[in-house]
Amino acid sequence: MQGEESLVQRAKNNDQEAFAQLYEEHFDKIYRYLALRIGNEMEAEDMTQQVFLNALQSISSFRWKGVPFSAWLYRIAHNQAVDHLRKNKKRSTVPLDESLASSGDSPPSAAERKMDIEQLLAATRRLTEAQREVISLRFTSELSIAQVAGIMGKSEGAVKALQHSAIVALRRTMLVTEQ
Amino acid sequence: MTDKEFNNILDECLERIVLDGETMEQCLRRYPEQAAELEPLLETVLSVKGASAIQPRPEFKARARYRFRSALGEKVAPKHRSFFGWVPRWATALAIVLVVLMAGGGTVAAASNSMPDSILYPVKLATENVQLALTTSELGKARLCANFADRRVAEIIYMADRGDAHQVELITERLDDRLEMLVVLASELEAGESQEFLAASGGAEAAPEEPAVDGEDTEPVVPVTEESRGLWGGLGKNGHGQAQDRAGLQTTVADAAANNGAVMRAMLDEVPESVRAALLEAIAVLEDGYEKVLQALE
Repeated sequence: MQGEESLVQRAKNNDQEAFAQLYEEHFDKIYRYLALRIGNEMEAEDMTQQVFLNALQSISSFRWKGVPFSAWLYRIAHNQAVDHLRKNKKRSTVPLDESLASSGDSPPSAAERKMDIEQLLAATRRLTEAQREVISLRFTSELSIAQVAGIMGKSEGAVKALQHSAIVALRRTMLVTEQ
Repeated sequence: MTDKEFNNILDECLERIVLDGETMEQCLRRYPEQAAELEPLLETVLSVKGASAIQPRPEFKARARYRFRSALGEKVAPKHRSFFGWVPRWATALAIVLVVLMAGGGTVAAASNSMPDSILYPVKLATENVQLALTTSELGKARLCANFADRRVAEIIYMADRGDAHQVELITERLDDRLEMLVVLASELEAGESQEFLAASGGAEAAPEEPAVDGEDTEPVVPVTEESRGLWGGLGKNGHGQAQDRAGLQTTVADAAANNGAVMRAMLDEVPESVRAALLEAIAVLEDGYEKVLQALE
């Protein structure tokens, strides 16, 4: 953590390499979060870029408070996603295509994984926005309950309850799909 | 057992599985009484974790990295552009002379239709800057900026069609500048309107009476081209009229956002591969810029 703090401090002091390193470390995670949250590849791509450009513009306002730098990036991504979803409530989502599957996979495992991703996206579309966000932050970004609560601006208890209801809803949807 | 207690147990298991790499069976052994209820939920989460295989496309990553590195470079060594910084001084001087002496004349009109590969293009940019400088009302400036953004889009399409990625990037920066200026003007427009509302309400804490917005008769002498006639019209109105103007601007910007975005996206399939990345960046700038303008006008 101390290493990250010093990296962030260097980035705040306009050290290009430090910021580039933070970018490389967090880019894929932020993309995954937005892809699952938004459910649209192109929009998730545009928004991921914007998250890092916004971070670049406002890094001077970042204050180290002992939480990982990623929590700040997720907060920016969360705000953008909320904004985006608010404005696109009526839009229809385009399923993520096979390009989302890990490019390094062998064909059979890529096919299997793609099916999982499509099922998951179909299932998450039935969740509320808050449930979808908890699932995305918790299980694709692997953040702790405390971190998720901080990003979403909710209590840990509320996040745990959302997590439970989201998993139950996902389970139900996936079972129906399998039948 | 309460919901809260179960939620805590579920979360502890998830924490161990997600963060610590423990197996589901290990977790279930810890809580035999809740195992039947926990098992299907944990299985679901393990399926969900398959989504962690989502990876950004390599070509997108490359384009995003390039864009980020460019922005990073600019931040560290920012360009200091003056108001007229995009254009050479000769063009600015010529534009001022043309604007003042040849209002509505053929050269200004010809320049306003020129494209970036034309010798008159610097005059076009300079004329725009002069028009902005000579327009005193925020609404007038905002309308000009909206119109100039439309021009930049037309230029991007023109240069993209010719396969000139470098020019597309340059024009995108100019588009970004115009949209940023429009965001600021739109925000100020709102603030001005709020002050007028306060003054009109006549309350004890009402703001002091604001001087009237520049009327048409107080507008500086500027070339009244077909394009600008509509842009500078309708100034000097009361609060209600200004609200209507702002609503009109909002409609104009919303239409422009939809139309320009659609046209540029349609171009993606037609332009050479070498221009695609630059065009995608232009679309991102366009969409982000219009979104911010509309937010400011809401």
